[in-house]
Amino acid sequence: MRDQLGDKLPNIALVGNPNSGKSTIFNQLTGLRQKTGNFPGVTVDVKEGRFHLPNGREAVLTDLPGTYSLYPTASDEKIVATVLTNPEDKHYPDAVVYVADATHLEKHLLLLTQLLDLNLPVVLALNMSDTAAQIGIKVHAAKLTERLGIPVLMVSGRTGENIPRLLGEIEKLIHTPPSKRKSFYSFSEAEKQITEAVCLNLNISSPYAALLIAHHHTWLPFLTSQQSSTIATIVQNKGFSSLKNQVDETLERYDRFTPIVQDSVQRPPQFPSTPTDRIDEVVTHRWFGPFIFFAVMLLVFQSIYDWSTIPMDLIESFFSNLNVSLKDNLPVHWTTDLLTDGILAGLSGILVFVPQIAILFFLVTLLEEVGYMARVVFMFDKTMRRFGMNGRSVVALISGGACAVPAIMSSRTIGNWKERLITVMVTPFISCSARLPVYAVLIGLAVPPEKVLWIFTWQSLAFGSMYALGVVAALGSGYVMKKILRTHEASYLAIELPVYRIPHWKNLWLNVWEKVSAFVIGAGKIILIISVVLWALASFGPGTAMEQATTSAHAVAAAEQFDSSATDDLVAAYRLEASYAGYLGKVIEPAIRPLGYDWKIGIAIIASFAAREVFVGTMSTIYSIGSAEDDVLLREKMRSATFDDSGLPIYTLATALSLLVFYALAMQCMSTLAVVKRETKNWKWPLIQFGFMSTLAYLLAWVVYNLFI
Amino acid sequence: MQRRYRTIPDLKVHESARALAFEDPILAGKLTAMGLLPGTLIEMVRRAPFGNAYYIKADGVRLALRNEEASSILIDA
Ligand SMILES: Nc1nc2c(ncn2[C@@H]2O[C@H](COP(=O)(O)OP(=O)(O)O)[C@@H](O)[C@H]2O)c(=O)[nH]1
Repeated sequence: MRDQLGDKLPNIALVGNPNSGKSTIFNQLTGLRQKTGNFPGVTVDVKEGRFHLPNGREAVLTDLPGTYSLYPTASDEKIVATVLTNPEDKHYPDAVVYVADATHLEKHLLLLTQLLDLNLPVVLALNMSDTAAQIGIKVHAAKLTERLGIPVLMVSGRTGENIPRLLGEIEKLIHTPPSKRKSFYSFSEAEKQITEAVCLNLNISSPYAALLIAHHHTWLPFLTSQQSSTIATIVQNKGFSSLKNQVDETLERYDRFTPIVQDSVQRPPQFPSTPTDRIDEVVTHRWFGPFIFFAVMLLVFQSIYDWSTIPMDLIESFFSNLNVSLKDNLPVHWTTDLLTDGILAGLSGILVFVPQIAILFFLVTLLEEVGYMARVVFMFDKTMRRFGMNGRSVVALISGGACAVPAIMSSRTIGNWKERLITVMVTPFISCSARLPVYAVLIGLAVPPEKVLWIFTWQSLAFGSMYALGVVAALGSGYVMKKILRTHEASYLAIELPVYRIPHWKNLWLNVWEKVSAFVIGAGKIILIISVVLWALASFGPGTAMEQATTSAHAVAAAEQFDSSATDDLVAAYRLEASYAGYLGKVIEPAIRPLGYDWKIGIAIIASFAAREVFVGTMSTIYSIGSAEDDVLLREKMRSATFDDSGLPIYTLATALSLLVFYALAMQCMSTLAVVKRETKNWKWPLIQFGFMSTLAYLLAWVVYNLFI
Repeated sequence: MQRRYRTIPDLKVHESARALAFEDPILAGKLTAMGLLPGTLIEMVRRAPFGNAYYIKADGVRLALRNEEASSILIDA
């Protein structure tokens, strides 16, 4: 038999409650052939992958966000209702795999009965068959098939049990359009009249889809404004109360399917205390709970530094070797420079983050997989809500201590848009690993190493204060945004605390792979472009300025009898001053002079707007120390530097402190801006973030400079 | 005088009661979908370390609720 799809790939959707194991089944079916697609105008990503049916045909699998019902309360859940009530949607499925947790079937079938009423072709996959067998739960699939009128299979996303049969059932569903089912839910008289009117007006055939549209007409994106106002009139005329009807419908559905579950499932008597209860007694304990959390976070933080050093060094040395050998073997020409100092430098700037991102995501996914994250949400919800965020924001903020890029990506677990946005906006205030080298140079320059208390020196206290400054700035601006931003989306905690499980490694690796490739491809493009622009600014100057700079540098070097590497350093310094970047540094000097900076620091700041770790390298170039990046030597040179005009020393305590504050607070990371754009799908937010952070940095740096001068 | 119903925050740790009704209609929609229905047996497991939230079990399902959410659920006895 030929199906009616023609050449279009069949669309299969995974639908189910959160924690039913949908993603695990998704990974089972698609493996590495997955990507994260975007719904236009919606901020939650949907995963899409490809797989083959038993007859060899390729099909598209969409992992819709987990939801308990088609009456959504958060924006990720709205996607499910949007797709399933609109046959024109590009994700509208030709067949649905409904994933339910076989060990909690009595709570997992509400959404299934709603899909049945939408007349969708559904196969019921009773997941976690391995756990069910372990605890002695028996499900009679045949009985369920008989009562529900759909194919039912026991499967396991973990062991792969019955996955081939699941594929067979999907294939059958695509080939046989569903026969008209009797509605699971019996409509009230008012609901009948409303759905008839909606069906007539929108020319749709499914009464339940019409009912859902009547409920959701205020926000469903596929309705034209005329359509939704027509529906509003219908709903008003019938005196329809959406919320009350919704609860009544839900309760009636439970009344109807609970007996079905009771007939088909045999469970052993329940034990009073499970391992999950015993673990939670400690892990969510009044005092132990927060203590364990901070210990875990410290470990995560430490691992990100420890485990990433070697791979990061390898990546950097690979690129610098490649750079050197390309420079040696390619003709001396600006195209070679573009390739090495522009494109390759940009590439290494992207790839050098990969180890940290991979490790961080590995650990965060691990905590999520075992079920710990929901406990963190529970424990810290109150604290974070004061600052306009959600319990889940703690995780993002602490990850920000390593790198804001993956931290911002991890905020996706936050359902409420306002809370998520605030988290995304304030996370970059947390001092990330890229600020460390800058702090090291400046603190070494300005702060005496003497001991103050026990083991503390002024310098270590200064480091600690930089971190504290970041945390205070993040929470403070969260508080401000909370007061400013408006949202219509109600904020709820109401979260299920899943049972603790041993992690499924395949899920972990695939998740890490997905996050890393999303970063490399998404943010990478933008990083590459900006680093090429920066390269151009530093390599070219107006008119013949660059040639003149080279000539005069050589003249000076010859007069002073410099060796060849010292000569190269001097040439680099002269050229930088003559380049457009140097020109820009001089242009902005009046603006940064109130903070105590000269044009050379200006260049470093401009360069740092791409990535703050550039600071040390740029200062080294300016003070012609060369590629060795010797901290001690650099500090010597900086200490003796003076303003060109007044001849006064530049690096006083006031300037150093002001620079420290500036680097702690300013938004100087194009990767972060790129990822904020990616996550908010709008340039507005990264621009606001940039403006806000830079202004705050400027003002506070100014205050600090004037306090200490 | 109107009798005030007890709500979830009135439960002591390890005390159980049945849910009767919801005062917040939006939350009612959300919680019924999650399996907390009128008639469901609810056990108070513990309070959040910093307060303002509760860890409960509803028919074996573990849920975390904010104070405002928990106090909108009326319980018997
Ligand atoms: N024992 C067992 N665990 C599973 C199975 N499928 C998923 N899990 C675990 O259940 C948890 C939730 O799974 P996940 O796929 O993330 O659920 P989702 O929220 O529906 O996407 C994870 O810890 C999985 O490793 C299964 O068939 N057997």
